[in-house]
Amino acid sequence: MSDHPTDFKGSINEAIASSIVGLIPDAKVEVSGGGGHFSIVVVSPVFAGKSTLESQRLVYGAITHLMKGDLAPVHAVDSLKTKVP
Amino acid sequence: MQMGHMPLPEALRAQLQQLVTTNAVLLFMKGNRSAPACGFSAQVIKILDEVVPDYETVNVLADPVLRDGIKEFSSWPTIPQLYIKGQFVGGCDIVKEMFASGELHKLVEGAVPPPSPPTITLTEGAASAIKAAASDVEGEVLRLEVSASFENELFFDVKKEGDFVVEVAGISILVDRATARRADGTTIDFVDGPKGAGFKIENPREPARVRSLSAKELARLLDAGEIAELYDVRPEVERKRASIARARPLDDEGLARLEGLPKDTPIVFQCHHGVRSRAAADEAIRAGFTRVYNLEGGIEAWSHDVDPTVPRY
Repeated sequence: MSDHPTDFKGSINEAIASSIVGLIPDAKVEVSGGGGHFSIVVVSPVFAGKSTLESQRLVYGAITHLMKGDLAPVHAVDSLKTKVP
Repeated sequence: MQMGHMPLPEALRAQLQQLVTTNAVLLFMKGNRSAPACGFSAQVIKILDEVVPDYETVNVLADPVLRDGIKEFSSWPTIPQLYIKGQFVGGCDIVKEMFASGELHKLVEGAVPPPSPPTITLTEGAASAIKAAASDVEGEVLRLEVSASFENELFFDVKKEGDFVVEVAGISILVDRATARRADGTTIDFVDGPKGAGFKIENPREPARVRSLSAKELARLLDAGEIAELYDVRPEVERKRASIARARPLDDEGLARLEGLPKDTPIVFQCHHGVRSRAAADEAIRAGFTRVYNLEGGIEAWSHDVDPTVPRY
C-alpha cells in the first residue's frame, strides 16, 4: 500500500460509498483499501444490460469529485467491480 | 452526474477528437511505451505489446491541460485510457478483462489495417558490406527484424511464409509482418569507427529512450558543438568538490531552463557515477524529451578518461 497525501478530512471509504449510493440509491457498496488506493464492489440492478464500460463509467461519475487534483483522497481505484444482484 | 463541472474548451475537444480518430490504436498514459510512469499504464502497455504490433501513445504527464482534458473528454477519471478506432475502450481493468476474454484481439484486428512492405534505405557503405557478406552465404537472404521493444537484428535467413521481400539497391531484405509495421522509414548504415565496424540502424518509429554516453564521446560532442545542454544533478555540496566546467547545475534555475527547451534538444545528465543521472534522464523522457543521454560512470569517468584535473571523491 503506497501513501498519497490528501487534505481530505473524515473517512474516505464512507465518502466513496455514500457518493455512489447518492447516485445509485439501490446500490450495495463495499469499499476496501486506503492510502489513496481503493477497491470497490457495487451491486445494483441498474447495471443490467449495461457493458462493463457503461457500468464503471456510472460509478466513476459518482466519485469523480474525490479523484480530482493532486491532493485527491482517491488516488487510484485498483479494482472496480459492478454486479447485478 | 458529478462530471463536467469544468467544461472542455472546444479547441481541446477538437484536438482530442482528431487524435483518437487519426490513430487506430491510441493509449493515453503516464510516461511512454519504453518508460511507463505508473503501474496501471505499464500493465496496459504489456498487453498492447502482445496484441498489436504498432500503436501510438500520448504521455499525459507532459501536458497537464491534456491530462485533465482527456478525463473530461472520455468521462473517465483515471489514466490510462485506451481508444481503438476513435472509440473509448476503457482503463486498465477493462483492457485486462477484454484481453483475457479475447475480445481485445478482435477489436484490434478490425481496427488495424494489414501491413504493407516498409520503405528501407541502405547507405552505399551498408550495401557494399551486405554484398560482401552475402557472397559467403548460399540460398539465404538478409533479414531485418525489429522487436516489439524496437531492438533491431540483421541476419541471413531463409524466406518464410508471410514475409515481405523489400528490394533496395539490388539487395533483397526479408521482413516479417510484425516488423513491416515497425520498420517503415528505417535507414541502415555501415560505420567503421574506433569501436569497430558494424551496421547502424536508425528507425524513426523507435520510441524515445535514454541513451548511454561515455565520457570520451561526451567530450567529443561538446567540443563539436553537437551537445550544449549538460546538467549536473548532484547537490551543491558535491558540485563544490568536483564539477565539469561546462555542466549546469540542475537547481531551480537549471530546471526552469530545461523546461523552456524544445523537446528535441539533445540533453545530457551527469552525476557522480551515473545512477542518479539516469533517474533524471528517465524523468526527462517522461516529460517528452526525445534526445536524452546519460553520462555513464558520471564525473568519475570524466576525471579518469577526459580531464584528470577534476578531483575524484
